[in-house]
Amino acid sequence: MAQTYFEIFGLKPGFEVDRRALAERYRELQREFHPDKYASKSDREQLLAMQYAAQINEAHTTLRDPVQRAAYLLKLAGVEVSPEQTTSDAEFLMQQMMLRERLEDVRGEADPAAALDELADEVHGLYSGEQKHFAEVFVAGDLDAGKDSLLKLQFLSKLQKQVEELEEDLD
Amino acid sequence: MALLQISEPGQTPEPHQRKRAVGIDLGTTNSLVAAVRSGSAEAIAAEDGSVILPSAVHYGEDGIGVGAEARARAGEDPYNTMLSIKRLMGRGIGDVKSFGEQLPYRFADSDNDGGMPMIETAAGPVSPVQVSAEILRVLAQRGSEALGGELDGAVITVPAYFDDAQRQATKDAARLAGLHVLRLLNEPTAAAVAYGLDSEEEGGADRTIAVYDLGGGTFDISILRLSRGVFEVLSTGGDTALGGDDFDRTIASWIAGQAGLGSDLDVTTQRALLDRACTAKEALAREESVALEFGDWRGSLDRAGMAELLDSLIAKTLRACKRALRDAELGAEDIDEVVLVGGSTRTLRVRERVEDYFGRAPHADIDPDKVVAIGAARQADVLVGNKSGDDLLLLDVIPLSLGIETMGGLTEKLIARNTTIPVAKAQEFTTFKDGQTAMAVHVVQGERELVSDCRSLARFELRGIPPMTAGAAHIRVTFQVDADGLLSVSAMEKSSGVSADITVKPSYGLEDADITRMLQDSYTHAEEDMAARALREAQVEAERTLESLLVALRENGAELLDERELDALERGMEALRLAHNGGDADEIHRRIEALNELSEAFAQRRMDASIKRAMQGHSLDEFDQ
Repeated sequence: MAQTYFEIFGLKPGFEVDRRALAERYRELQREFHPDKYASKSDREQLLAMQYAAQINEAHTTLRDPVQRAAYLLKLAGVEVSPEQTTSDAEFLMQQMMLRERLEDVRGEADPAAALDELADEVHGLYSGEQKHFAEVFVAGDLDAGKDSLLKLQFLSKLQKQVEELEEDLD
Repeated sequence: MALLQISEPGQTPEPHQRKRAVGIDLGTTNSLVAAVRSGSAEAIAAEDGSVILPSAVHYGEDGIGVGAEARARAGEDPYNTMLSIKRLMGRGIGDVKSFGEQLPYRFADSDNDGGMPMIETAAGPVSPVQVSAEILRVLAQRGSEALGGELDGAVITVPAYFDDAQRQATKDAARLAGLHVLRLLNEPTAAAVAYGLDSEEEGGADRTIAVYDLGGGTFDISILRLSRGVFEVLSTGGDTALGGDDFDRTIASWIAGQAGLGSDLDVTTQRALLDRACTAKEALAREESVALEFGDWRGSLDRAGMAELLDSLIAKTLRACKRALRDAELGAEDIDEVVLVGGSTRTLRVRERVEDYFGRAPHADIDPDKVVAIGAARQADVLVGNKSGDDLLLLDVIPLSLGIETMGGLTEKLIARNTTIPVAKAQEFTTFKDGQTAMAVHVVQGERELVSDCRSLARFELRGIPPMTAGAAHIRVTFQVDADGLLSVSAMEKSSGVSADITVKPSYGLEDADITRMLQDSYTHAEEDMAARALREAQVEAERTLESLLVALRENGAELLDERELDALERGMEALRLAHNGGDADEIHRRIEALNELSEAFAQRRMDASIKRAMQGHSLDEFDQ
C-alpha cells in the first residue's frame, strides 16, 4: 500500500479536510479490509488484512487530528519536526506561560467555573486561529512558517487538553 | 452519497455447507453458549434444560466437576471449588494477594518468575487458564451436540476493559479446550450487536449507544456509534474488579456487623453470609423489604437501606461512565440509547441511578444474562462465513494505552487507549554500547507515567543486532495489536535489514511451551491422540488456505496474474492437496508455507485492487468545489 494517507482516502492533500467524507470513506475501507472479513480465510490473508486495516486506522487517526495532520503534511513536503524542537517566537512563549499560570490559578478563583470558561474560549480561539494560519502558510508553500505554526499548534493542543481535563475535574 | 456496490471478499461464490459456530459468554459467575439456528440466535440448553452454566469447577480426588454440581460443593469443600476464576485470568501472584480474602484458595509457591498463580487442589495444582478451559469444554460440548458435529469456530466474549494478559489468557484457555477462536469480542459490543440488529430494522440515522454492563465481577461501560451497519466503539472504560459480588460482600459485611460477628470469620461462615446477602439483594428486586436472620440475629433490609449500602459502589461505575464519555468527546445528553447488560443490572437501585445519569430509561428487553452470548453467536455466524459479511462490521478499540519503559522507570506511550484496532506503531531504538548485539524492551499497559503504576505485559529481548558502534544501529520495533486486542512485536535493524530475534517473556501469561505441555496433559486425560489432533488441525488450515485461494482466483485471478504465475499457483495448490491427503502434518505445514509464499504477491495485488475499487467514483476534483 505505497500511497499517501490522502490517497488512501481519495482526499485532496491539504490541511482542510472534509471530515464527513473522511469518516464515510473510513467506514467503506474498513468494510473491505477489517480482519473480521477475513476470519475464515487463510492465516496469511488474515495477517495481510490486519496490516492493511492497521494502516487505514493509522491514516484515519492522522488525518482526523489537526496537529498530526499538519505534521504529516510537512513530512510529505520533506520537513521533519523532532519532539525536542520548540518555537523561537518569544511573544508566543510568553503568552503560553501566562495562559498556563491562569490555568493553574483557576481553582483559587471566586468563581472557578466562570474563570475556566473564559480561559477555555480564549484557548479555543487561539487554537483554531493557529489552524487557519497553518492552512494559509502551507498553501502559500512557506514551509518554514508551517513548521513554526506546527510547533505552536502542539502547544495549543496540549493546553486545550489540560483545560478539558480541568473542566472534568471541576464538574 | 450512496454506498458503493462492492463484491464482498468474504462471500463464497458457491452454495456452501453451513458451518458450526457458537458464541460463548465466559462470565465471572455464570457462563453460557448460544448459536444461530434457523435464522435466530438462541442460548443452548444442557440436557436438563438449564441454559446458565455456573462458572464453577470442582477438583476432587474423584474427578473434575463443572457447573451447578461444582458450585453446590463450594460450601463443604471451598479449597477445591474454583469460583470467580475469571478474576484471576491473566493476573500475577501480586494481584492475587489483593483478592486473598475473597478467593479462599491455597496458592502454590510459584517457582517461575512469570508469576502465573497456581492453585493447590485435591487433583493437583491448576492454573486459572486450565479452570476456564474446563468451563469452555463443557460449553463447546453443548454446542457441538446441539449443532450436530464438531465446531468450526467460536466467538468468546471478554470485558472491554481486559488488558492484553487477560485476553491472552482467555485465548489460551480456548486453545486448551480445543476451540478455534474466530474472535475475542468485547462483551458490551456483543450486547449492542444483539440489540443493534433488532433495532436497525427501524432504519434511520446514526445512533450513539451506551452499554452499561455490570456483571458478577466486572464493570464495563462502552460508548458505541451505530452508523449504516458499522458499529464503532468510541470509547470504553470500567473496572475489572467491581461487580455484583462486591454488592454481596458489602451487604454480607453489613449483616455481619448487625449480627455482631467479628471480622475474623471462617470460610464456611463467609460463604453462608454471602449466600444470604445475595438472596436478599435478589429479593429486593421484587419486594420492598426482606426479613433477614443469621445465627441468633433477626433483622430486615429494605430498598432504601440497600441503596445506601450500594450507592458508593454504583457511584464508582458512574464515574467510569463519565470518563468514557469524555474519551468519546461526548456528554451524557448525546447518548441516544442505554443498554443494560449483566445480572447485576437487575438491582433496581442500579437502574434508577443509570436512568438518572443518562436522563433516559435503559433498554433491558433481552435477558441481561443472555444478551452477550446472543450477540456473540450472531457475530460468530458472520465470521465463520455463514452470512455474507455485508450487514455488520465491528470496529473495536484498545482499552488501555500501550507503552514501553524508558530511562528512570518512566513509560513512553506508543498507542493511546481507545485507538481503533488493529493498529501498528513503529518505534526506533538504538544501542548505547559499542558492539552491543542485544537489548531488552519492557512493554507495559496502563495510563500512568511510572512503570511501577502500570501493568507489566511482557519483556522482549532483541538479539542478533549486528555489532556496530554505539548509536549506529537503528532498530525499528513494530508493535502490532490485532483485532482481538492482542499484542505482537517484531524488530528489524534498519541499516543492515537484519531482523532481530525476539524472545517474549509474558509477565503473567503462559509461554508457548506451557500451553503445549498442558495440551499434552489434557490429551493424555482424554486419551486422545496428540498426533491425530495435530494432523487434523493441519488439514483444516490446508482446507482453509485452498478454499480462500480458489475463491480469490475465481474472483480476479485472470485479471491480476499472468499465465506463468497462475501455473505456479496451481502447481502449489496441487502439491498441498496431495499433502493434505497424505498423513504427515509437518509436510502439510511446509506445503501451506510454500503456497503462501507463492500467493503473497497475488494477495497484495488483490488488496490494492480492492482499495482502488472502494475509492472508485471518488475522483479528487469532487472536492475542488
